[in-house]
Amino acid sequence: MRRPIAAVAGVASGVLALVAAGCGGGGTTSGVQGASHTLAGGKKGGTITILSNGDVDHLDPGAAYYQFTYAITYVTQRPLLAYKPNSIQPTPDLAASMPTVSNGGRTVTVHIRHGVKFSPPVNREVTSADVKYAIERGFDAAVGNGYAGAYFGVIKGAPTKIVNKVPSISGIQTPDKYTIVFQLTKPSGIFVGALQEPLTAPVPAEYARKYDKGTASSYGDHQVATGPYMVQNNAAGKITGYTPGRQIVLVRNPNWNPKTSWRPAYADKIVFKEGFDPTVGTKQILSGQADANGDFPPPAANLKQILSNPSQKSELEFTPTAGARFVALNTQKAPFTNKYVRMAVAYVLDRNAMRLTRGGAIDGKIATHFIDPSFGNSGFNQAGGYGFNPFPSANNSGDVAKAEAMLKKAGFKSGKYSGPQITQVADNTPPGSNTAAVVANSLQKIGFNVKTISVQHAAMYTRFCGVPKNAPNICPNVGWIADFHEPQADLDANFDGTNILSANNVNWSQLNDPAINKLMAKAKGELNAEKRWAEWGQIDKMITSSAAAIPWLWEASPTLYSTRVTHATELWNGGEPDVSFMSVK
Amino acid sequence: MGAYIVRRTLWAILLLLVVSFLTFVIFNVFPSADPAALRAGRNATPALVHQIRINLGLNKPFYTQFWIYLKGLVEHFNLGYSYYNSESVKSEIFSRMPATISVTVGGFIVWMLIGLPVGIVSAIRPRSILDRVMMGTSLVAISAPVYFLGLVSLFLFAKGTGQLQWFGAAGSYVPITQNVGVWFNSLILPWFTLAAAFAAFYARMTRGNLIETMHEDYIRTARAKGLRESVVITKHGLRAALTPIVTMAGMDIGLLLGGAILTEIVFNIPGIGRYAYDAIVNSDLPAIQGTVLFGAFFIVFANLVVDILYAFLDPRVTYG
Repeated sequence: MRRPIAAVAGVASGVLALVAAGCGGGGTTSGVQGASHTLAGGKKGGTITILSNGDVDHLDPGAAYYQFTYAITYVTQRPLLAYKPNSIQPTPDLAASMPTVSNGGRTVTVHIRHGVKFSPPVNREVTSADVKYAIERGFDAAVGNGYAGAYFGVIKGAPTKIVNKVPSISGIQTPDKYTIVFQLTKPSGIFVGALQEPLTAPVPAEYARKYDKGTASSYGDHQVATGPYMVQNNAAGKITGYTPGRQIVLVRNPNWNPKTSWRPAYADKIVFKEGFDPTVGTKQILSGQADANGDFPPPAANLKQILSNPSQKSELEFTPTAGARFVALNTQKAPFTNKYVRMAVAYVLDRNAMRLTRGGAIDGKIATHFIDPSFGNSGFNQAGGYGFNPFPSANNSGDVAKAEAMLKKAGFKSGKYSGPQITQVADNTPPGSNTAAVVANSLQKIGFNVKTISVQHAAMYTRFCGVPKNAPNICPNVGWIADFHEPQADLDANFDGTNILSANNVNWSQLNDPAINKLMAKAKGELNAEKRWAEWGQIDKMITSSAAAIPWLWEASPTLYSTRVTHATELWNGGEPDVSFMSVK
Repeated sequence: MGAYIVRRTLWAILLLLVVSFLTFVIFNVFPSADPAALRAGRNATPALVHQIRINLGLNKPFYTQFWIYLKGLVEHFNLGYSYYNSESVKSEIFSRMPATISVTVGGFIVWMLIGLPVGIVSAIRPRSILDRVMMGTSLVAISAPVYFLGLVSLFLFAKGTGQLQWFGAAGSYVPITQNVGVWFNSLILPWFTLAAAFAAFYARMTRGNLIETMHEDYIRTARAKGLRESVVITKHGLRAALTPIVTMAGMDIGLLLGGAILTEIVFNIPGIGRYAYDAIVNSDLPAIQGTVLFGAFFIVFANLVVDILYAFLDPRVTYG
């Protein structure tokens, strides 16, 4: 999971989005709600300004792993596949066509486009060897890529140990300048989808190798581009358009050939201005001083005002975030080793009150399972869509009677939990701290005495919930956003029992159910998309029914545009503006 | 005097070491986020997290990490590199200093220009309507949080977002070397916002000190000698009343040079305060350490200067 902007939202305002009922016209079940703007025929020229509260994580495409950063990475770099606005269907970008899968799923062949060139100072044509080097450097700890092992570890010869050098991977072959072949150790249903990750964007070895030496690569500060834009640099290639925490300036890449790309690249210049308070930033967008929000959602108070003003409302779009917030119950620690105790919790949780801690209906729909509505027919509907809810209650406010019935099945004759005190580790700031308080209050109704340890959000993950030996009974503030729209990217890391790690563990429930593991193993190797999505839909149902984790929110992310620009929203990337499709009116 | 300065300087160095050590201890003892895991991302393997931990030197005991840090600081004046984006902390702090100095010095001038006259007027007309209005206003200004005052000023007077679009908007700051006019215009609201609370506090302090001083015997003597009231106030009253104010001013300037955090956040001024805030949000120890040390240095330095200035303002002070 790349870092979501929700992390920033938690700090800044704690409010993200809106349900379908309240938003602009043209809404769809799974797409960008309010997106009715044409993407073609924009005017060339001008400058677009995007505002953000924080900074990018890494400019280096090999290290970038943050929703906001991707808005910059995908217009400056060309991975093999990418997405058009309002779409979750991968489209060949550097690739000339969609990859072909052969040899029973063990060989994936990609042909890349002719005539794609690196920006100055490299200036030469991109070859398949540049893609090979880009992926190989992802396994170098100096680059520190966060997902290379998860998605590309299946390539033959991929390192199993992490080292401080760029390895040579035998399973990546380049028979000619425009062909790259991946030999896999086993069929992978997710591999082709993963070719949209920025790690597949070409990196010229002869230029980058000197920056990749040592314990921390500095290629990001000297990177070259293949997309329509590049981060402003000097003649030697040193980036000059990035001032950390202040701004990032993108200018046209003089070597970009529009005939090789589907991006219109209307604007001449894109400026990402950083450090904005969300309230001030929202006002500036409304006044036309800036053109869209990057990493912060407009605060709830502003959203309500915007929605009550018809002209402003039409500038607002809502995008599902491709994931769910959930409460993880530690299945390896009593009392949640007992399925019925977990089910009691699932019944009694007041999910409506939990959503209110993040702004109420304006923040999204109450989740009843894990695969979110933006997946549509690639998993959401197969999991039962909006109709699947194994733990229903009136107004989603919890059902004490059913919870007590479950506790009786678990051996608590009174229907109230009478075991020892349990612990939850929660955020120490709103809205997470408030959500945790609702969880504790809900559990109190059926006899639980919950001790809450409050820590910084990041510490909650990296010191407690992500470290099994320190893990509490409950992690009430966890969530996951899929890297791309394959259900495996949504469920595998969180619920496959073979993924439980000693540190940086994201299977927060430590769920290790042999039946679920077995079906996951099968689905991961399934190459037929329809069958694969059906299997993952079934897996979603099994996980939800196990009550190892209780989903409670499918968030949607608001993107606000100024009236001086056209809209282009990335459905695949949680509503980030696609600046290569935006134009100044 | 020389020996005193040397002794105070040595104490200052010791104090900075203690501050630095405490920051390290707090970061290591209390449950803060694991920088290696944050750097690696949620999908990373424990092996990668471990390797990054080694690369960042976080696998060593914290006292060893502290020793390495100190060594770098003393030998090369190296404040380390950000865990978040690998940028040099020293470069970041120095590149942000002009913005912070601009905010602090301008704010200081404004609050002194407002605070001292208001305090003096209130002191020489105690319990008058003017005094009550001024002190009441001061109370409101002290009570209003900078964050609130900043947002209100932006929504009233800033270009783009304000009802009266007179002054520079949030994020409009440019260095003075780039454009003096834009620089000045972008800082008017931050100066007044920052100055509001300080001016009010200084007005109340000046008033209190001056009223007390004006009841001293030597003031009565001065009046008895037939001196004009303005001379009595400015030459005899104010001089004594200002001594504690100079102390406070020195400490406040030192504090703000370490970063006027809230003002810089609201007005999006890329100063050290903004950097400190981002560092805390990102659990970026080297940046936190650098900004804390930097702020502590200015506070200690300002104290030293104030103590020396005391001798000139108050003849009773001697240096032993």
